[in-house]
Amino acid sequence: MRKTEDRLFGGIMGIFALLTVLLLAFLVFFIVRESLPAIREVGLRELLLGSQWRPIIYQDAPSYGMRNMILSTVYVAALAVAFALVIGVGCALFLACFATERQRMWIMPYIDLLASIPSVVFGFIGLYFVVKFIEKCGRAAGESVLAGGIVLSVMILPYMISSCCDTMVKAYSRYGGSSAALGVSKWYTAGELVLPASRKGILISMALATGRAMGETMAVMMVLGNAIGLPRLLGKGETISGLIALEMGMAEVGSIHYSALYSAGCFLMVLLFAINIIFELLKKKLSREGSL
Amino acid sequence: MKKLISLLLVLVLCFGLVACGAAQSTPATEAAPATEAAPATEAPAATVAPIEIDPQIHFCGSSSLAPVIASIGAAYLEEYGTWDKVNPAFPAEEIDIAVTSGGSGDGPSSVLDGTADFGMLARSVKDSEKEALGSGYTEYMVASDALTISVNKKNPVCEIMDDIDTDTIRKIFAGEIAYWDEIDASLEHKEIVVVIRDLSGGAAEVFEKNVMQGTPISENAIQSPSMGALAAKIVENEYAIGYAGYGVYQKNLDNLHAFKVNGVEPSEENILNGSYKIQRPCLFVTNRPLDAAEEAFVDYIFSDTGRAIVAENGYIPAF
Repeated sequence: MRKTEDRLFGGIMGIFALLTVLLLAFLVFFIVRESLPAIREVGLRELLLGSQWRPIIYQDAPSYGMRNMILSTVYVAALAVAFALVIGVGCALFLACFATERQRMWIMPYIDLLASIPSVVFGFIGLYFVVKFIEKCGRAAGESVLAGGIVLSVMILPYMISSCCDTMVKAYSRYGGSSAALGVSKWYTAGELVLPASRKGILISMALATGRAMGETMAVMMVLGNAIGLPRLLGKGETISGLIALEMGMAEVGSIHYSALYSAGCFLMVLLFAINIIFELLKKKLSREGSL
Repeated sequence: MKKLISLLLVLVLCFGLVACGAAQSTPATEAAPATEAAPATEAPAATVAPIEIDPQIHFCGSSSLAPVIASIGAAYLEEYGTWDKVNPAFPAEEIDIAVTSGGSGDGPSSVLDGTADFGMLARSVKDSEKEALGSGYTEYMVASDALTISVNKKNPVCEIMDDIDTDTIRKIFAGEIAYWDEIDASLEHKEIVVVIRDLSGGAAEVFEKNVMQGTPISENAIQSPSMGALAAKIVENEYAIGYAGYGVYQKNLDNLHAFKVNGVEPSEENILNGSYKIQRPCLFVTNRPLDAAEEAFVDYIFSDTGRAIVAENGYIPAF
């Protein structure tokens, strides 16, 4: 009785698991299939490295280079992760080592709440505060890679903090007692013991945050200006996801433009896979060194 | 035991899902015979033969025309409520005018793949699109919309300049004239913030045809996802210039200043008689004969009420 029950249960769960995997496989297959015409027609090299994105043009031949978009995506995400890393690690360190259990119980839900705010809201706040602030500082247009980085960093902060905090609490419970017994200062414990011990946790949180930062569309689109030129810190840019969101509705189904947008999605996916693999390798390396 | 319970729960949930899915799909299939029968029992004396219609009419396409059709649809629903009020021969089903906004390119493509009954465009239909839609192709011209060359009212250029020629507009949008003081020496040395619709929208195409004519638009131009966002950007930023549609310009008269182009003011009169060049038609298309309900609604669009709504939305009725 017990056995058949277990087997049945296991079987059903297995089907669901298989379904999920199939869904992912189907997604990848679909995106790759749709992007093939553009890759064949335009060429991978031109798509990836071409500096001109002019999908619709009335006299010359159209060009589909998305180097600038790929660079923008990486630029904005890197900036955001850098900002969020500094604030997030500091915040997590405070929560793990200096805040009391009670304080942590109070603060954490608010940080998690930050993650549930819709991205359009962040976009609006970015548009009316960050962009306006940059304009106040003398730029004619405040839409910029910097504004995108700032808005995104706030959006990925909760992921960063909660996953860092978990590891750091663990690390603190390992070293906190003995440090206190030895009479070592809290600052030393936090900086020299807890921080290095949670390198792996920080890395995982960075991977999570990068993934989210690269895929984010709405908020970034609202503050980045969506200009197709080469991205500069105070200049405008357009991310891959922004490009797809802006143009997918207009592209003629089945055209090269349409397919090129799919291939943009494909590149974004590959970029994310690559980044995740790099983080995974780093994590393995740190695991061997005995990090938490 | 616990496992058995959770197993049961999973099964119940699964069945629940299946049941829900089925329940949602049944009305569509069951409702038809039910309503067909309804007029027969209610009004046995009536001589009208029931007409079969699809209670939902779906429009898809241009984000410029979508709000207009949506508000006409809302007015239609308010006036009649159910189809049998429109024509007693129609079934007593609720009127459902669905409007999906995307881009002008979506219009013909959604009609073609059957996701929509009508496709909306805010540009003239390309020959390739007409060809793809086939012999059943019909277009219904609703309104004219013009692109105004607008700047923020606070920008001192409004007092210096009233008229702008196509050549200057082209140079500004191409990025050749990048600072305001290059237009007039008395202006500030500030970057001109060019705001455009995304490169593949209907407005971009009209602007390309009438102004840019092959000159690429500056890579530094801000692309707005909608006309509303484009106007909002100019209202927000006093160094901005953009091609705001006549509709959004009319709604923001307090904050926007539109230049005359080559001496022609973007007024209703000039747009209708064609002397203001940067303009485009707003229309919807289909590729098959209309059914009775669609015909009734299309008639309503081209009625006085429809006309009033088109004008209310800032467009110039073309009928």
